[in-house]
Amino acid sequence: MLGFILRRLLIIIPMALLVVSVTWALIRIAPGSFYSNEKTLPPAIEANIKRKYGLDKPWYQQYFLMISNVVRGDFGDSLKYQGESVNDIIKRHLPYSATIGALAYLVALMVGLSAGIVASIRQNSGFDYGSMATAMLGLSVPNFVLGPILVLVFALGVYWLPPARWGGMSNLILPVLTLAAIYMAYIARLTRAGMLEVMRSDYIRTARAKGLSETSVLLRHGIRGGLIPVVSYTGPALAGLLAGTVVVEKVFAIPGLGNIFIQSVLNRDEPLTLGIVAFLSILIMVFNLIVDISYGILDPRIRYD
Amino acid sequence: MAEEVRQLKGTSLWRDAWKRLLKNRLSVIGLILLVFMIIAVTIGPFIILKTTGFTADYVPSQVDEGDLVNSFPPSFQHPMGTDEAGRDLLARVLQGGRISLLVGIISTIVSLIVGVSYGAIAGYFGGRIDNIMMRIVDVFYAIPYILIVIVLLSVFGGPNAPDFITALSERIGGAGNQGMSQIFLLFFALGLVSWLTMARVVRGQVLSLKNEEFVLAARASGVSTFGIIFRHLVPNVLGPVIVYATLTVPSVMLTEAFLSFLGLGVQAPYASWGSLAADGIKNISIFPWQLIFPSVTMALTLFSLNFLGDGLRDALDPQTRKF
Amino acid sequence: MRIPDKYFIKSVLLSVLTAMLATSCATEATSRFYGKTEAPKDNVLRYISGSEPESLDPPVATGQPEARIMMALYDGLVEYDPKTMDPIPGIAESWEIGQGGTEYIFHLRHAQFSNGDPIKAGDFVFSYRRAVSPELAALNGYLGYYIKYAEPYNSGFVFVKDANGRFLLKSDFEEAAADRAKPAPDSDGGTEFHKFLDSPERLTVPSTEKERADLDPKIKAAIQGKEFVPVKAEDIGVEAVDDYTFRIKLRQPAPYFIGLLGHQLFRVVHQGTVEKYGKAWTRPENIVTSGAFLLKEHRPYDRIVTVKNPKYWDADMVRLDGIEFYPLDEATTMMNLYKAGSVDAMYNHTTPAAWNEVIKQFKDEYLNAPEVAIEYYTVNVKKPPMNNLKVRQAFALAIDREAMAKYRKTTKPLVDFTPEGIFPKYEEARTKVYTEELKKKGSTLEQWKAREFDPVQARKLLMEAGFPVQQNGNTFSCPTFPVNQVDLTYNTAESNKAVAEFVQAQWKQNLGITIPLKNMEWKTFLSYRKKLEYNGMARAGWVGDYMDPFTFLNLFYSETNDSSTGWWDPKYDKMLDAANNELDATKRFEMLARAEFMVMQEQPVIPLQTQATNWIKKPFVKGMYPNPGTLHAWKFVYIERDPAKWDQNVENIMAERDPWVYQNIDRITATQKALVEQHKTVAE
Repeated sequence: MLGFILRRLLIIIPMALLVVSVTWALIRIAPGSFYSNEKTLPPAIEANIKRKYGLDKPWYQQYFLMISNVVRGDFGDSLKYQGESVNDIIKRHLPYSATIGALAYLVALMVGLSAGIVASIRQNSGFDYGSMATAMLGLSVPNFVLGPILVLVFALGVYWLPPARWGGMSNLILPVLTLAAIYMAYIARLTRAGMLEVMRSDYIRTARAKGLSETSVLLRHGIRGGLIPVVSYTGPALAGLLAGTVVVEKVFAIPGLGNIFIQSVLNRDEPLTLGIVAFLSILIMVFNLIVDISYGILDPRIRYD
Repeated sequence: MAEEVRQLKGTSLWRDAWKRLLKNRLSVIGLILLVFMIIAVTIGPFIILKTTGFTADYVPSQVDEGDLVNSFPPSFQHPMGTDEAGRDLLARVLQGGRISLLVGIISTIVSLIVGVSYGAIAGYFGGRIDNIMMRIVDVFYAIPYILIVIVLLSVFGGPNAPDFITALSERIGGAGNQGMSQIFLLFFALGLVSWLTMARVVRGQVLSLKNEEFVLAARASGVSTFGIIFRHLVPNVLGPVIVYATLTVPSVMLTEAFLSFLGLGVQAPYASWGSLAADGIKNISIFPWQLIFPSVTMALTLFSLNFLGDGLRDALDPQTRKF
Repeated sequence: MRIPDKYFIKSVLLSVLTAMLATSCATEATSRFYGKTEAPKDNVLRYISGSEPESLDPPVATGQPEARIMMALYDGLVEYDPKTMDPIPGIAESWEIGQGGTEYIFHLRHAQFSNGDPIKAGDFVFSYRRAVSPELAALNGYLGYYIKYAEPYNSGFVFVKDANGRFLLKSDFEEAAADRAKPAPDSDGGTEFHKFLDSPERLTVPSTEKERADLDPKIKAAIQGKEFVPVKAEDIGVEAVDDYTFRIKLRQPAPYFIGLLGHQLFRVVHQGTVEKYGKAWTRPENIVTSGAFLLKEHRPYDRIVTVKNPKYWDADMVRLDGIEFYPLDEATTMMNLYKAGSVDAMYNHTTPAAWNEVIKQFKDEYLNAPEVAIEYYTVNVKKPPMNNLKVRQAFALAIDREAMAKYRKTTKPLVDFTPEGIFPKYEEARTKVYTEELKKKGSTLEQWKAREFDPVQARKLLMEAGFPVQQNGNTFSCPTFPVNQVDLTYNTAESNKAVAEFVQAQWKQNLGITIPLKNMEWKTFLSYRKKLEYNGMARAGWVGDYMDPFTFLNLFYSETNDSSTGWWDPKYDKMLDAANNELDATKRFEMLARAEFMVMQEQPVIPLQTQATNWIKKPFVKGMYPNPGTLHAWKFVYIERDPAKWDQNVENIMAERDPWVYQNIDRITATQKALVEQHKTVAE
């Protein structure tokens, strides 16, 4: 097991470099550059900029310079936000996204899991249909619709909560709810499906046959297996959530990493994009490793050799 | 070969499933609604054109001076009202449905075919193959897909488009309709990412099932690897697969709306449900119908799809007892 | 099965109800103000400034969102008038213009940086040299090119010295040099440097062999074997005559130059701080500012907090204790914040188009005025069928601009290339010139004005171009027109989409041609349009850099011009050059108008509309006006606590005179007016 984890951790570095390289190539293929604007720059100014950022060198030199810097963990300065180092930007904006993301996922997990489990036990009951319909509602109302509606009701209708911006606890409520809605729905539905699948498997039947009470069958065996689809989904979802969600950040004017990431791509801010991509790919791979480890814990049938 | 096998033992299984599905009233409602929706978006625009003369892109030439706004509330003439430019919202919702449903269907098919087989193969073989295959998925996750879409559009869209894409879009969208090639690229780009989570979900399930007795038994009786994966493992993970597939549809529709918002999706004057809802939410306090009708249509469709999915899941599960 | 249908129905109902609840809460148009309206307890203005600033270093930051923040932090020689955006004295108390409009002498007041250091002429010399230095590579650096030798310095060019130690002159290689009026050298010029600046302009050439390959062969031959001397920062035309006299020497007359000096590129920075902290100098802990406000906190994408600068030269006048800038660009979010009373004002174009009719009812808050900005479609004149002038004219004539303005609700119809209602003096001159020019062509101004919308003429022109338009009942069709060779491309934005859809419908209805729309992500679009890869038409907008029609007409200047149309005519360049060498303002405007007439005859662009400022502010925010650039001199802004004195009916705000604001404008401009008077009497 330890060897497995170690191998998986080691592979993260080359994989992240691969992702960075592919992204770098994509940015280079994409038309436009960070300085292109409505006003065409005089050639002299363009040349000055290229010289300043080393863009006048041949592409392979630029690539190797970039990779060697990335290996050292230095992504350089943002091109759009001059004088700001990429590492600083990530460090500064990650906490906003991570707070909202983690809270939202926590809410989603608590509500989604309990709804999903209860719905699966009482399959085809009123609760089942009701909770699944609600879950579906959460899914089919896009968060760019849900967010503004929540704002209209709670911030502009009754002035209970602030409509946007980062601030105290009260500023967190609406964005967290908006973000949680979709994940709640996903988790509830995946839990229900997973539970239904597991509860009819052989080992549950064995457990029942051993004379265990239904509750303990459910808690000790059922939930563990039933969670696997949720866990599979959680890896990438959580990584994405922690690194920010553009729509919610935009609607609520939260200075999170998700919006900055999208903007960096649209601005062709190469170092910033690469920095966030590298960070994101490491995050995804670490989370997926955790997911794979937790498979083994959740389900004794899963073994890695 | 697979076809033959299904025929052999399939008749009763599928007929049973169909019967069980028909017993589930919600699923039947879902199925009817869904079929209705597909018919509506397919022929609806023609009917509207014939009866009222409105199309999704019809902008009235004269701006009515007597009225404060160009967006009119629902009326007999415009059952869903009009949008800001005075275009008939019903026509736009129906036309938008074409794109949204197509986006949803294509991505679901991709995620069902690619995602399920990819995940099942990775999970079943395990070890190094699994490791490599899943790391590829990780790479796909990490590369920003807007960047992929931007590059796709700049390389294959516009004047640099390869001939076959232009030819294809001309055949489907009529001559000179360059907007269509962008939609094809959009489908392609969405398909590219829609199977990733499905692959992970299926792999997780297969990992936990591959050491079960029925798999061991099948292996012992000499069933081929292919047979084990697709005839024994996949049917046993159908529950989560169907559920996840029904979850993919809304998320892909929203991704499409987001890409359209960035200028990478559907081309004006056409819209999709997502982009209609996005336009509607901005005007919610002034023209609520611009939000309500597209959103409710979209929500109804997703609801139907979901209940159908649930029904299918239950129907295909022989052990679910029905009352 | 236990009738679960009711849950299903319930949940659908719930969704509809939620939406309805939301709308009922939101529509409360009965109140006088839009949302919560209370003057904030502290004297701090909360302003939404647009997207996150690229930098707080004035020459580095390029856009308008940045400019608004720079205007709080830094002062320049001149400041923008809060209403007209004309230059009013800033750190320069007064100025004189001499040598045929190429020399500017500024008399500085005794101002201080926020750390107490005096602001002297040397600080301006440093700031200007830095702004155009190749090392800083400021994107806006080209605005400083009017300063003598600034362009060659920024481009890394060299002077050429012959064996006798004489520098080659630019005039040696110009045919027209002889008849150009050379300004007489300044006789009282004291220093060597002063004389150097006033002497005829030297020839400059690129520093590398490769770049010199494209030079005029005559020049190439002449510089062969000569010594090259790099153009240094010390060579550019800025000079500290003494501590409080600053001189700028231009390479050619630029009558609009003084208006340009309010731009952030020309605002003064503190040399010691810049040199000590390098790129980190704008951090709140390091920064030294020269403006009315100090930077206290900068949380990117969230807030920029500034507080009043007690060391500011005009600190007595500043009534705000601080400004909080919120870098946001999501229209709905900012309207929500405004409605909830969390912000007091916002930047331009922020009221969503669809909301306008509602927002307009809040007469004390909604500000709309013409903007020094135009919207138009560029036409790729290199590709058929748009290379045919008649086709271009037909498309331009077939848009009902009056209807479009009504539809857009804020903008004004535009048929020329300079915005309507911004330069009244220029428009006067233009009317005169157009009447003359049209007479020559046997036409009248009335006929020319009909260009706003003339579908009959449009169809006629199209027929003449070989694409006959057929009429079938009320509709038209033009089957021979190659629709697959023409697109209308625009960059994705709500308003661009709305305009494009409208124009598309117009062409369909008036010409029977359905031009496909194509939207693109911004940077992709820019490269596509600039390289003339587009077919047919592409969307463009232009915001003036300064308050002069030249900022627009300049777009067609030179072969490598920025119009993205492929159109160029050397005659046009000559007309503009001649106009800028003209010292009489009216004559100059007439010359510019002739150039504008010429370019509009060629129709390389399809003008659409003059943009409007379109934003809202709370009525208690006073001294803030919808000026043409939405750039506010913050020291004039204050918060009025007495509701009786709040702004009312702001439609007329530009005509109303706030006594306090005017008293201060009069005080600030008094010195300059006195100097001008004095010169007049001396001349007499």
